[in-house]
Amino acid sequence: MKIIIVLILSALFLKSCSSDDIVRQENSELLGIFRNIAKGMQSHPKETSKAKEIKKTNLWLSKFNQPIILISSLDKTDEATLVALGNNEEKLTWVSADGISVSYDNGILIATRGYSQDLLSLKYKNPANLFSASEIKYDKVHRYLSGQNNYHDIYFKCTGIKKFSKPSQILEYNLSVDTFVEKCEHSSYNYVNTYDLLAGTTIVLRSKQWISPANKSFLTYNYYAFQKF
Amino acid sequence: MKLSIVSLIFFALAGLQNVKAEVFEDTGSLNKYGMPGEIDLPIAQDLPDGQFSVSSSLFGGTIRVNLSFQISKNLTGAFRYARVPSSSGDHNGYYWDRSFDLHYLLYQEKNIFPSIALGVRDFIGTGLYSGEYVVATKSLGEKIRFSAGIGWGRFAGKNSFTNIFGIKNRVLEETGRGGTFKVKRFFSGENSPFFSVSYRLNKRFQLISELSPDIYGNETSTSRGFTRKTDLNLGLKYSIDPSMSVLISLMHGNTFGLTVNMGVNPRNSPYSSGIEPAPMPIFKTKLPSGDLKSERQVFAESQRLLALEGIELKELRISKNEINVNVVNRRYLNQSQMIGRVVRILSRTSPSEIKSFKINLFDHNSNFFTSEITIERKSFIANELNFDGPETLWSSISVNNSSKKFFDNNQLDHPKLSWSLYPYLDTMLFDPHAPIRAHIGMELKGRYKFLPMLSMSGSLKQPIAGTLDDVKRGPKPGLPHVRSDFMHYHRDIGSNLYINYLTLNQFLKPLPNLYAVVNFGILELMHSGIRSEVIWKNNKKPYGLGLDFALVQKRGTNGDFQLKNEHYNTYLASIYYDLPNNWVVKLDAGKYLAGDFGSTISIRRTFNNGWEFGGYATLTDVPFSTYGEGSFEKGLTIKAPINWFTGKKTKSVMNAVIRPITGDGGVKLNLSGEKYLYNVVSEYDQKNISDNWKRVYR
Repeated sequence: MKIIIVLILSALFLKSCSSDDIVRQENSELLGIFRNIAKGMQSHPKETSKAKEIKKTNLWLSKFNQPIILISSLDKTDEATLVALGNNEEKLTWVSADGISVSYDNGILIATRGYSQDLLSLKYKNPANLFSASEIKYDKVHRYLSGQNNYHDIYFKCTGIKKFSKPSQILEYNLSVDTFVEKCEHSSYNYVNTYDLLAGTTIVLRSKQWISPANKSFLTYNYYAFQKF
Repeated sequence: MKLSIVSLIFFALAGLQNVKAEVFEDTGSLNKYGMPGEIDLPIAQDLPDGQFSVSSSLFGGTIRVNLSFQISKNLTGAFRYARVPSSSGDHNGYYWDRSFDLHYLLYQEKNIFPSIALGVRDFIGTGLYSGEYVVATKSLGEKIRFSAGIGWGRFAGKNSFTNIFGIKNRVLEETGRGGTFKVKRFFSGENSPFFSVSYRLNKRFQLISELSPDIYGNETSTSRGFTRKTDLNLGLKYSIDPSMSVLISLMHGNTFGLTVNMGVNPRNSPYSSGIEPAPMPIFKTKLPSGDLKSERQVFAESQRLLALEGIELKELRISKNEINVNVVNRRYLNQSQMIGRVVRILSRTSPSEIKSFKINLFDHNSNFFTSEITIERKSFIANELNFDGPETLWSSISVNNSSKKFFDNNQLDHPKLSWSLYPYLDTMLFDPHAPIRAHIGMELKGRYKFLPMLSMSGSLKQPIAGTLDDVKRGPKPGLPHVRSDFMHYHRDIGSNLYINYLTLNQFLKPLPNLYAVVNFGILELMHSGIRSEVIWKNNKKPYGLGLDFALVQKRGTNGDFQLKNEHYNTYLASIYYDLPNNWVVKLDAGKYLAGDFGSTISIRRTFNNGWEFGGYATLTDVPFSTYGEGSFEKGLTIKAPINWFTGKKTKSVMNAVIRPITGDGGVKLNLSGEKYLYNVVSEYDQKNISDNWKRVYR
């Protein structure tokens, strides 16, 4: 009986309408719940296919007429280019076409938006001091929103070690980079972040950073450092 | 949007698929009564705070459907609807019975000391399941759990001994009117001990055995029930995940049982901070030449960008160093998040000399200006990506009742007519002939705004299919039929088009803190007339006052314009209070529709994300015997926000009211939600904004 009611309601929804865009939108989202239930019932295994790989070359980069970064999942199946839409002092916010934003302070990820379990904010060490040190111990706090809009803070004890000068290729450039390895520990979560710095500087060219327990880590390529306008 | 309890439970369970396996749900600790326990017996444990559970069990002719809620850290409550086989059953050899339970964890297990809990089962129903208990539970490692207790009532049958308090005679169960507290029955009669032990085989499987003294008198008195052969119950519990478990049991050596428990916790949002698109980031380095020059330009660009965020900017005025905007929020359940997005856009579009933003929020339906929020631009920008940004920002903002009265949309080019055509689902529960009745159909809603604060709104319903028109029971005797003859309306409407409501609405705001509405016309399915509500609400205060009065005439049962020659009036004064720790209390007092005098107390537990669980009870001068079955008006309320399930921005909520019994005493008008002004105004008050302020930069 319930299934019949759901089917009839779904069919009726399809025939429904309103003069009001918001009413229409909200009802279509409600219908989306029915759809998700139906999909959940079928539960086809998700097909995993590697995203079509586009070779990142200087030519490819030159096609962008505004500063970009590239973010990628660790297995590189998902990639997105983001454009800079915000700056607040040294902090830059980059936004993807599908409405996800990531904010960095001199290469350190300090906030995400639109990621479900967003990194709301981060208590961290000054990037210039951090990346200048060859070995350093410090605290970090990742702040999230709980389901009740309260803070959920995760306190980490971190150790940073800088590994000096090794050759690396970014785009078509062969560069010498220092790698700053950050190991952070908490009773339930551990992560290792790596930052490839332009040798002898604190400029982050590439990084692997942890967002949250649900979203884990992702890669960032700061291609804007190689763009010419 | 208003949907039924059936939809609510359906959606809640659908949402479980996304719920993360954390400590927010524990359905493996629910028994066949939907309360903390093993099979039939209780244990001294509580459930995760806020867990809402739906469970159903079936064995030996008995069916139980339980709704339970972890009301606070140590207090669990349940409402149950059960089919009980009995030789004296009044519906084809069965009783259909409603009951309420409470379970309180007195002491949490520590070192060698066990947990201790106290509980009362069926303390307000007919008493079929009536019983009280004290139980102690001790864990041995993570795998073994022992419980032992003594009980009264249903917990005292086999192996009984004299009452430890010396209260010998227990009032026998009665299946008549029900609905009243039988305080004298509590902890009376003989006692029996009970025991249970559970062994956790692994993360998912649990073996349980228990010695239950319940003699199952009714259930064993008929061939529709079962034969009780032993005190022993055996069970195997399988936890699919923390939010869903299944229990297979062998009850008293004779009959197999199946129980399915499902739980959802409002605190455990499947989408955490949400998946709505990121807000527009602050763009601080702006060239002076990049400034938009005229007010018109700033308005147009702000309106365009805010529309992308789902926010309607209706007016913008620049005065000296301040921008003053009129905004209507129809998408964000969370006002703080919406305010943050408005300021982000304004800080991008406004000239650099602007120092502060004043945001006037008004309600889309009534056009009332409700709140006025002032934010310093510099402070907002400085705190955008700071660790404690929201807290620092809060100290520099102000939230006030808006001094403006209403938004005059006649000055602008807005459509006066709005309408929608969508399906509806109406349900009715607890009819012994068919415990769940429902009707589906299409509903055409419309509203025409003659003036900014004068509108006509209506709802036409076209039933398509269902069983609401087949209710066999008749109205209750004793009082004027102001509600209990509802079945005659559904019967006579059948599958015909009918007017659900059609009213002329005049909104008024004589003072900044005073809001009023007058509704005239067809107010609801059963009553037409004139009704007015006045609300006093200072949005800095946690309380408000209300006055609601109406003169009505009973509608004909065909759902058209016909009226019966039955006239009623009602007036109620209300006090609303937002208690600390997210509890809201409302007290009404006055004259109800049937002419009875009394008061209603409502209490709700609210969650910042929009969920609400509550209950209400109305006691009037109508004697319980006159009210009939159920004794007095009472019910449970649930409000679930859609965005909790989708992670997207929407203000839609699903409301459910579970009324065990419909009578004529303590009856109020049943109006559409937007006609109750306190809900409209308090949505924008300082407490609601501050409670969710952590989302201002989300």
